[in-house]
Amino acid sequence: MAWTIFSFMIDCDIHPQIGDVEEFLGYVEPAQREWFRSQGPSLGIPGYSWVHPSSWFRADIEQNGKPPAADVDTIRRELLDPSGTEVGILNGDDAVLVSLMPSPYHAAELARAHNEWLRERWLADEPRLRASILCPAQDPQAAATEIRRMAEDERFVQVLLCGGADRPYGEPRYLPIFEAATECGLPVAIHSGGEGMGIAAPPGGAGPVTFYIEWHTLGSACSTMSHLVSLVCHGTFERLPSLKVLLIEGGIAWLPGILWRLDTNWRALRDETPWLERKPSEVAREHIRFSTQPLEHTDGKDETLFEMLETAGAPDNLCFASDYPHWDFDDPGFMLKRLPEAWRDKVLHENAAELYGERLGLARA
Amino acid sequence: MSWEDVGSVADLERDGHVVARIGGREVGVVAVNGKLHGIRNRCPHHGGPLCLGAVRERVSGAPGRYELAGSLVLRCPWHGWEFDPATGQCLDDSSMRVAVYEAKQEGGRVFVQA
Repeated sequence: MAWTIFSFMIDCDIHPQIGDVEEFLGYVEPAQREWFRSQGPSLGIPGYSWVHPSSWFRADIEQNGKPPAADVDTIRRELLDPSGTEVGILNGDDAVLVSLMPSPYHAAELARAHNEWLRERWLADEPRLRASILCPAQDPQAAATEIRRMAEDERFVQVLLCGGADRPYGEPRYLPIFEAATECGLPVAIHSGGEGMGIAAPPGGAGPVTFYIEWHTLGSACSTMSHLVSLVCHGTFERLPSLKVLLIEGGIAWLPGILWRLDTNWRALRDETPWLERKPSEVAREHIRFSTQPLEHTDGKDETLFEMLETAGAPDNLCFASDYPHWDFDDPGFMLKRLPEAWRDKVLHENAAELYGERLGLARA
Repeated sequence: MSWEDVGSVADLERDGHVVARIGGREVGVVAVNGKLHGIRNRCPHHGGPLCLGAVRERVSGAPGRYELAGSLVLRCPWHGWEFDPATGQCLDDSSMRVAVYEAKQEGGRVFVQA
């Protein structure tokens, strides 16, 4: 693999796979283990209506019928070493959809087990890895308890929610999650996925879609927009001034448009949200960060994309993410070439180092 | 600058505003708590007839809580942008300001100094 070495790169989105379900079930409490086993390999996590026509994963790293990235060695060999990644953050893969399980009780146990599995099977073996705290968002009090429990381990650097939700996250019932994260000094990452599945609302805003291509285009972007707008409009950042949110894998080309639209409506409809004393775009610029992956293909119009993104706060609000080992992964070397030179240090490491702060244990953070 | 007649006090009391064309521009007068304010009848946002908007109490609050701010504003009838009738300053965009003029009533007529 001919990647350039970026010695300070922070990758905000790496997905460890559960390669051995039985081994994973060992982390589930005995009283619920049989229930999870009875659900098959999905462990009761709501599934997609489609299977990707070729593979959910990069085909070049699939191995022996097991998913890639199912062990630390593979991630080391395929990603961390060749890219020179200094810190890689593990985000639950399908497991992030625990928040969409009909049963909040099973969801809470699966989230707890996944956190323990990450701690023992991944973080213990590789000092470059950090992880996100999985929690059952459908039960915000239980989620807050799990956040506080796991935050004691400094290697857990953020809280992870999924894009799919029954209502956007600005809703006050979700506040305990954001309060717990803020209290623990953790950013909250919202990773696209699960829209239209389990207890989540349909993607796109016009009912269920037909094809995976529609879902992949709309679901992840629309839920990300919804959470952004909701968190800002509900005054979540006024309630919790130190809160930072990272929106992962929902795209970014739409960002200037949605912020301009929100600013326009804010002035006209201010009676509904009179607590918003600043332009929503200013609030978003201060509190919300975005992962770069998947950076939209622009047919050679990257300059236009970057110029528009600058109006929405880039490069200060962008953090590099590879999404390894998924099929729509952004290669770090390719990303380096696309980004304007003046943006590279910020996007590849400075912004993430600031977002995660001292927890990363980096001398420069 | 001179005092220009922009309409009758009766019209102002009935409609809440009077508007007249003075030197190529429309100027209106609105009454706020009994005090008259001359204001250019053109919202700096999209050019809407600002003086035809409602004078209303501004709403403020903390997240999830609504309060009356204790100040009256002139709200553009087009997009709802709110302005301080005394200074012409838009309260939600510091770069937006509408021209304001001295206003008075005399002998049943309303005048602005423009």
